[in-house]
Amino acid sequence: MTLRTSKQVGEWINRNKKISFKFEGEQFTAFEGDTISSALWAADQKVLGRSFKYHRPRGVLSLANHDVNVLMTDGIDTNIRADVVEVKDGMVLTAVNTTGGVKKDKSSYIDSISPLLPVGFYYKAFHTPRRFFPFWEKVIRNAAGLGIVNFDYPRILKRKQHSHCDVLVIGAGPTGLTAAYEAAQAGLEVTLVDENRQVGGSLTYDRGGETAASKQLNDLLIKVANQSNIKMLTGTYAAGYYPDHLIPVVSEGGINKVRAKTVIVASGAFEQPPVFRYNDLPGVMLGSAAQRLIYRYGVKPFNNGIVVTANDYGYRVALDLLEAGTKVVAVVDLRKGTNTCGAAITLAKRGIKIYAGYCVYEALASSDKSSVRGAVLCEYDNIANVALTKNKLTLECDGIAMSAGWAPAGALLYQAGTGMQFDNSVQQFVPSRLPAGIFAAGKVNGIFDLEQRLQDGKRAANEALRYLGLEAPQITVARPVGQPSDLSCPSHPYPMVPHDKGKNFVDFDEDIQIKDFVNAAKEGFDNIELMKRFTTVGMGPSQGKHSNMNAIRILARIRDLPVEKIGTTTSRPFFHPTPIGHLGGRGFHAHRLTSLHDWHQANGAVFTDIGAWKRAAYYPTNGQTKEQAIQTEAMAVRTAAGIIDGSSFGKIEVHGPDAAEFLERFFTGSYKTQKVGRCRYVMLLDDSGVIADDGIASRLADDLFYLSIGTSNAAAVYREMQRSQQMWQLDIGLVNVTGAFGAINIAGPVARTILSALTDLDLSYESFPISSVRESHVAGVEARLIRVAFVSDVGYELHIPMAHVPHVWNALLEAGKQHGLRPFGSDTQRLLRLEMGHPMPGVDTDGLTNPFEIGADWAIEMNKPYFIGQRSLQILAKRPLRKQLVPFVLAENFKGEMPMDCNLVVDGRAILGRVTSIAYSKFINRCIGFAYVSPAKTAVGSTFEIRTDSGTLVKATVAAAPFIQNQKGA
Amino acid sequence: MQVSNMKTISQTSPVAHAQLKSNAKWALVNGINTAVEFGSAEVEQARKKILGVTDVSCLSRYGVKGAQAAKWLAERQVTTPANPNSWSVSDQNTLVLRLGGSEFVLEDQFAGSTCARLASDTNRVPNVYKVPRADAAFILSGSEVLNMLSELCSLDLREKSLGAEEVIMTQIAGISAIVLRQDLNGEQVYRIWCDGTYGPYLWDVMVEIAVELGGGAVGLACYQS
Repeated sequence: MTLRTSKQVGEWINRNKKISFKFEGEQFTAFEGDTISSALWAADQKVLGRSFKYHRPRGVLSLANHDVNVLMTDGIDTNIRADVVEVKDGMVLTAVNTTGGVKKDKSSYIDSISPLLPVGFYYKAFHTPRRFFPFWEKVIRNAAGLGIVNFDYPRILKRKQHSHCDVLVIGAGPTGLTAAYEAAQAGLEVTLVDENRQVGGSLTYDRGGETAASKQLNDLLIKVANQSNIKMLTGTYAAGYYPDHLIPVVSEGGINKVRAKTVIVASGAFEQPPVFRYNDLPGVMLGSAAQRLIYRYGVKPFNNGIVVTANDYGYRVALDLLEAGTKVVAVVDLRKGTNTCGAAITLAKRGIKIYAGYCVYEALASSDKSSVRGAVLCEYDNIANVALTKNKLTLECDGIAMSAGWAPAGALLYQAGTGMQFDNSVQQFVPSRLPAGIFAAGKVNGIFDLEQRLQDGKRAANEALRYLGLEAPQITVARPVGQPSDLSCPSHPYPMVPHDKGKNFVDFDEDIQIKDFVNAAKEGFDNIELMKRFTTVGMGPSQGKHSNMNAIRILARIRDLPVEKIGTTTSRPFFHPTPIGHLGGRGFHAHRLTSLHDWHQANGAVFTDIGAWKRAAYYPTNGQTKEQAIQTEAMAVRTAAGIIDGSSFGKIEVHGPDAAEFLERFFTGSYKTQKVGRCRYVMLLDDSGVIADDGIASRLADDLFYLSIGTSNAAAVYREMQRSQQMWQLDIGLVNVTGAFGAINIAGPVARTILSALTDLDLSYESFPISSVRESHVAGVEARLIRVAFVSDVGYELHIPMAHVPHVWNALLEAGKQHGLRPFGSDTQRLLRLEMGHPMPGVDTDGLTNPFEIGADWAIEMNKPYFIGQRSLQILAKRPLRKQLVPFVLAENFKGEMPMDCNLVVDGRAILGRVTSIAYSKFINRCIGFAYVSPAKTAVGSTFEIRTDSGTLVKATVAAAPFIQNQKGA
Repeated sequence: MQVSNMKTISQTSPVAHAQLKSNAKWALVNGINTAVEFGSAEVEQARKKILGVTDVSCLSRYGVKGAQAAKWLAERQVTTPANPNSWSVSDQNTLVLRLGGSEFVLEDQFAGSTCARLASDTNRVPNVYKVPRADAAFILSGSEVLNMLSELCSLDLREKSLGAEEVIMTQIAGISAIVLRQDLNGEQVYRIWCDGTYGPYLWDVMVEIAVELGGGAVGLACYQS
């Protein structure tokens, strides 16, 4: 632990607990609380990872969750962010994205051929000849770095919860803590989130060589801790903003969707690096990273360091380095002039050499490029923003701390729709127009002075209070007004140092240099969104937190435009990469079971999902295949009888004197003339005339219709009915009885015989013909019996209370035992209805199909004053049909490759339509189906060709439906 | 014709499918086969204190809606809550839930007979529509109940937001449900109703979370005494 300092006030490590771990095969020790990076850095391990593209050695950059070149794997998890993830005893870690280890990465040769690999090279280099592209694709994919997905990753549940509060404060730095305290003082329920393990923000590391910040933090924490109405969530980041102040906050344990009445964003700012040659070497780090190492982890960033700065913050960093025992060789300030800030005066007093108006022209690498051995300084032309290389000066050092400015952590503000404008005085985008209920405070608001930030937190809290209708005094906190050239400006307007040999990195995630932006602009990608995509700046795992602002400045310079004219790229949730497991959560898959589910299960049913329901699809017996089971069940229905559990059908009662009127408006048919005891077909369209669903309306009384509709759309149809009723205000009552009533369909030649044993109702054709409904008892249970002919021309739907369905089902099976009755499933039902020639919405129609295309003109009463979709149908009726659904057969004894649902109907290269349903019917010994064909091919006997999956063309012939003969007296 | 007495037709709780895998003790309650014990009294009491999930689907229910529904109930001596989306307790400890303005769900507690009395009136009255109920119904108890509900529901169900007399219709674990908060035998519980066909799903979800949080399934017997 050669770089470990003495104990620091407020440090995050527990020096009483030592732990050990392995990195790249070597044993290391650490203290409890160390991150992986801090522990390795303390042990003088400088090369922590390799860069994404050029495999350059990389070390600590931010130590703030953005060191994406220092991603590790422990063999189970991958892309572990070493800069913030706490090291654990016994960990065995390796860096990702290396070939043969981080120290001797064989892929590092790519760095030496980097001139051949500028951004966008692969867009141009590999697309021709096309036949080689699969080869290059493989090469590129293999070369593309970061961790390898572990497909054996254990399923670790991450809960997704909801919570509520009056105020959500994002960021627990001095501003956020103050805002939370002030809001809590007023009695509000406050949730305070911070991505760091401990609260305090910059007060935990930015001390300027003094202890005042530490004391200030302690005082603040005591105040906050005394407020029981503040819920503090650390290690938790606010991942995105969604309407009505819904903000998912993500922690290791899962996602908490916080619904807040108001939100205060005190998320701070990301420190931005100056851009100079070799600013990526291990040992070159942001000033705030150096401070974090010192005060959070008790680690000296380097022994002999230079601070290169373009603001006063760098001077504070220098003082902190001195405090840690680092010899500060020099402070190099891009700005000219004598700095009179307190830190500069203190440094001068302590004899630290300050090079004002100078830049680091390049960092000098050790022979293996694994560390810094010095820096070349030049005078810096602050107008042209170039190094004046006539008088170079070389200083020996083993590290460089960089402070060039800040970029607001404003992602959530952008997502919330905040208007942001560029403020020249602070050289930063700041909120200019905040959405209702959202407030920004602190650095993200362009306020940098600590005392002002505390005031700004109080101001934001007061504004939040007033937003919630409480009284609170108005506080004004003004941003400084001045010129970018003023020494007080927290950010430099253009901290770039061009270098002929490049390697001056703007984006560390993707190894993007200044010249890459110039080249992109030359190629015409000179809009910020286009440039982002061509160069990939900001598209790495850190999402441009250290590169976007510099990229904007560079593009502004290239186009000779002010920064505000360039704008920013779009910020989308999530703000930070979030594991899929978090997004997945527990995984609720709501499903419905009929009261016969256990019976189906006990009798070997294979289930299928239809809508939300688990339905028995078929019941294979004695090792039957699916096809065999379906044919067996279908034959039973054709030759004897079958029963199917239809409890999943949608079932809706429409009560009231206007019930018929309601149906007339809602469906396409005519219902006012429907007699009690009769059933009519219903078809529902959407406003564009597309078929949405169909079913049967049974009139039980003048003022009561009982609707049975499809399984999948029942909930949506009921919702649409409610919506329509809200508009129409008819005298009706809608009752959804889908779950309250079960249904059994008994069908087949002996269905009547079987059913008659269980009911007193006269089932004869004369008394109870097709399309009629009766209320009676079956097996002692009150039932609505509907004569349907969906799967057979002898069929009865029995609608009974759901809880009684098993009783009736078993009674039917018992009564039908001697008649060959057997259950059939929904897959068999599809074959049976196909034999009957009934198209099914959702199977034989799609999201564009209108009734004319399926030949359902007969179901439309166009002369009605109104029905949903009528106006669209009136328009469609005047247009020629482009396709039409027809029943078809394949050749007798067809033995070729069986076409499948969705295979195309073709004529040469032209696509005429598609197959919507196709099956072999054992009963009629023929392959039958429905297909869309061109209207010219709809006559019975017309032929067309179906292209199978393998490309074979199969001839089909338009047939008449139904495919089976009706039974006499059915 | 085979004639059955409706009262003798065996019925099973709509939640039963999910409970079959546990070694529950079953009993007929209100003619419905119901899981009454999932463990010893000590185990169940311990679960109940942390997070107990109890299936009370067997309680009798009656649903009615329509513009004249409140009047119709009043004529039958059922006191209804004055405000929409609220609940009250009527005679015989029957819960009366007012869903929106004109829909009511009544639930008899053990030994209550109001629902049966109302169901026996089969006359159809204008603007009074019977709503057949086939709910899965649950009682949730214990200190971790809000922890669980925070995973299942996006609404704030804490005491400060969900008033003592309020009923809310919301989504629980992705399905429509009715929720209220109740002081029952001196403890605060949450009552949940959903369509019975979702019952096994919701039971599985709730018991899974309850077990993770230190609770689990609690038999109906805990509430029968």
